[in-house]
Amino acid sequence: LSAEPNWDLESREFALRCGPDGKVQWRDGRAANRNMKTGDSFLALAVPGTEEKLSGFFSRALKHPLSNVEQSLVIGGEPVTCFFHARPDGVGGVLLLGSSMPEDYSKSLRQIEESVEEMQNLNRQIFRQKREIEEQRNALQRTLSELEDSNKGITTLHLELEDKAEVLQRTADMRARVVANVSHEFRTPLHAILGLSRLLLEGVDGPLSVEQKKQMQFIRTSAEELGAMVDDLLDLASAEAGKMVVRLQKFAAADFFSALRGTLRPLARAPELVTLRFIEPDPAITLETDQSKVSQVLRNLVSNALKFTERGSVEVAVTTHQDDVIFTVKDTGIGIASVDFDRIFEEFGQIDSALQARVKGTGLGLPLSRRLAGSLGGVLTVTSVVGAGSTFTLRIPRVHPEVREMHAIETQPLDPGRAPILVVEDDRKTIFIYEQYLSMAGFQVVPARTIADAERLLRTVSPAAIVLDIMLDGESSWTFLSRLKQEERTRDIPVLVVTVTNKEQKARALGADEFWLKPVDRDQLIRKLRSLRAGADARVLVIDDDDRARYLVRKYLDDGPYQLIEASSGPEGVAAAHDHRPNVILLDFLLKGTTAFDVLDELKADPLTRHIPVIIVTSHVLEAGDRERLARQTEVILSKDSLSRELAINRIRDALSKAGVGGSPVAEAAS
Amino acid sequence: MDFAGMCARYLRTQLGGDRRAALQFIEDALRHGASPEDVRCHVVQAAQREIGRLWQEDQISIAQEHMATAISQLALAHLFQHAQFRDRVGRKILVACVPGEHHEFPARLLADTLDIAGYDLRFLGADVPLDSLLRAIDSEHPDALALSVTMVFNLPSARDTVRVVRSRSKQQVPIAIGGGAFGTTPELAEGIGADLVATDAQGFIATLDGFLGVRA
Repeated sequence: LSAEPNWDLESREFALRCGPDGKVQWRDGRAANRNMKTGDSFLALAVPGTEEKLSGFFSRALKHPLSNVEQSLVIGGEPVTCFFHARPDGVGGVLLLGSSMPEDYSKSLRQIEESVEEMQNLNRQIFRQKREIEEQRNALQRTLSELEDSNKGITTLHLELEDKAEVLQRTADMRARVVANVSHEFRTPLHAILGLSRLLLEGVDGPLSVEQKKQMQFIRTSAEELGAMVDDLLDLASAEAGKMVVRLQKFAAADFFSALRGTLRPLARAPELVTLRFIEPDPAITLETDQSKVSQVLRNLVSNALKFTERGSVEVAVTTHQDDVIFTVKDTGIGIASVDFDRIFEEFGQIDSALQARVKGTGLGLPLSRRLAGSLGGVLTVTSVVGAGSTFTLRIPRVHPEVREMHAIETQPLDPGRAPILVVEDDRKTIFIYEQYLSMAGFQVVPARTIADAERLLRTVSPAAIVLDIMLDGESSWTFLSRLKQEERTRDIPVLVVTVTNKEQKARALGADEFWLKPVDRDQLIRKLRSLRAGADARVLVIDDDDRARYLVRKYLDDGPYQLIEASSGPEGVAAAHDHRPNVILLDFLLKGTTAFDVLDELKADPLTRHIPVIIVTSHVLEAGDRERLARQTEVILSKDSLSRELAINRIRDALSKAGVGGSPVAEAAS
Repeated sequence: MDFAGMCARYLRTQLGGDRRAALQFIEDALRHGASPEDVRCHVVQAAQREIGRLWQEDQISIAQEHMATAISQLALAHLFQHAQFRDRVGRKILVACVPGEHHEFPARLLADTLDIAGYDLRFLGADVPLDSLLRAIDSEHPDALALSVTMVFNLPSARDTVRVVRSRSKQQVPIAIGGGAFGTTPELAEGIGADLVATDAQGFIATLDGFLGVRA
């Protein structure tokens, strides 16, 4: 019996009978195994929240049979899903057959539900991230388009600025011209007044009465003041037009001070009340700058100091600090409030004060002084205490910055390896820029700051090209351009015209090979110069009646940047020289029916060939007299015995470099 | 739009266990001009309430209820992707079911609605243990906490949750309460001690906007 298994424990089913109140009246063994007791309420087994559902089921079951109804009961402390068959027991109660669902199923269901929930969470997260990425992308897109807009704006602004700059430049030019003209117009009648008043004062046409003399003196002083004012105005106008010409020279501070002392002493009106003192400078202090400008500034400062100092002293001193020279003018006058420091440097920016009203001045002295200081590469500053005095300080480089830089460019020897470019440009800074641009690219800048300089240089140098800046007063530049293109000797030199305003038609009409608006683009410039140079090899004319000798030279020069012209007789050579204008001529000393001297004479007689360097090639030992005579007219005498490829090329190069013609920089770099 | 009819048809495909047909039905509804919002509330949510009622009346089994709910979860995910998201308001809401509350669906629906309305969401899901809830509040620093209660017998749990959050979270956070438990008798919410009571998702957003002072 004990071997028989108790299936009741494994069964999922159980049976109950309940009264109408839901109390368990009877249960089978399987229900007992599930801890259901008679007298307990069946309805109390409902899982929390399902009480209504269970009681609804129970009351329906009291009335009629039901099958397979799902209910959730708490069995053994756990919620269990059960399916019920039910029918009334005929005595008011109900018979129930329950069948519990396997726990695994409920658990799986729960697992699946939780998985779905988690996947929902993941889904939302991913979607949110996607949305954020999209938002970021949109923001980026917006930023990009905003950037694009502002970029466009900047470009437009640039164009507008360029227009404005040009208008301003024109206005400034016009203003400067008007001021200059007006000032000039003022001067003429002023000079008449000054001259006539002098005549009257000197009593040329009869003596004046004391009173008349006094009145005439007033007229004269007023005219002189007006004259000074007109001069200041002129200076200021030319400074504004950027036309301040700096004349550089070397001088010692000590000499400079003693000269200054002489000219300033008369300015002291009351020497017993105000002492004007010059502190003796260190004799070692020397300057290389524009002396007249330094002196103009100091004169201004001292005369101001004397004007605004009623008693005490005005002291002028100079010291050095590193590479700067510092001039100070210190007074014990009325002083300037710090709020006015800027105003005193403005045109007509005088300060109102009692003393100010008494002393005379144009109101242009300090502004002009500050500009002068600027043109010297320095600054003019002031410190002051009201009532105690002022100190004006002019601090300038001991050597004007342009001295060194210009010196370096101007004294640069012509380098045969670099093609010379003549740059006609009055602005030093622009010349420096060209120098920087071109030296790296294998060109050599030959600067000319005036048309006259350019013309002088052209007499000795044959540039590979000319960069011509049409300067503010344009006419002479235009004339220069047309002259360049008319003259046979310079006609073939490419001219690049550069201006600030568009004058392309005019430039082209006058023969400019290229026209550019400032500022010049570096790469464009170099590219253009290179293309102009291409094929412009040095032309070498060989005059020799010996075919073999010419052949030899041809072979020597084969690979180099040379273009060979051959002539087999003297007259033929002279004609070729006239027609082709070679850069150098190789001349055989002994030609059939003629001598080198005849050929040389003819070459020197023709202005077109006069400047061409000649190298004499000879197989003869020359007599002393001949040698001396040749040496005066030719570059070098070469002996055919010792002639080699290297020697020939070196001599030709030397001759070319003296003539200012270098090899093409491109070819040089390649060889 | 005949949402009642749409709901009935959706419910049929749902109970038929055909999730593709259910999704197709939602696609069609959207194509015919129903807003994702309407479909979510008047079709999916309404059908879900009907499922609850059918189960209550022994007309469907637990298995059917689970299957229908799974399909509705899928529908929600689908609608979420179609939603027109409003501008972010820069406020964070923590949504959770109180401990013991296993009905995740209504909380999910609220979370989606808030998210679409511009709130940042942290959704903790069903039956969130108190400790987890407190940790989340302290680490996420939400601007409000929304608690979902579906079953009436979870009301004591909701009351305890509010009390514990108030006394133990480091940060004082406004608490909103809502869900099916208050469906017929909103007065039940009074004893819970929450700051805000939400009866439906859309109305709750207006309340929350006003309370937090956003979109003024």
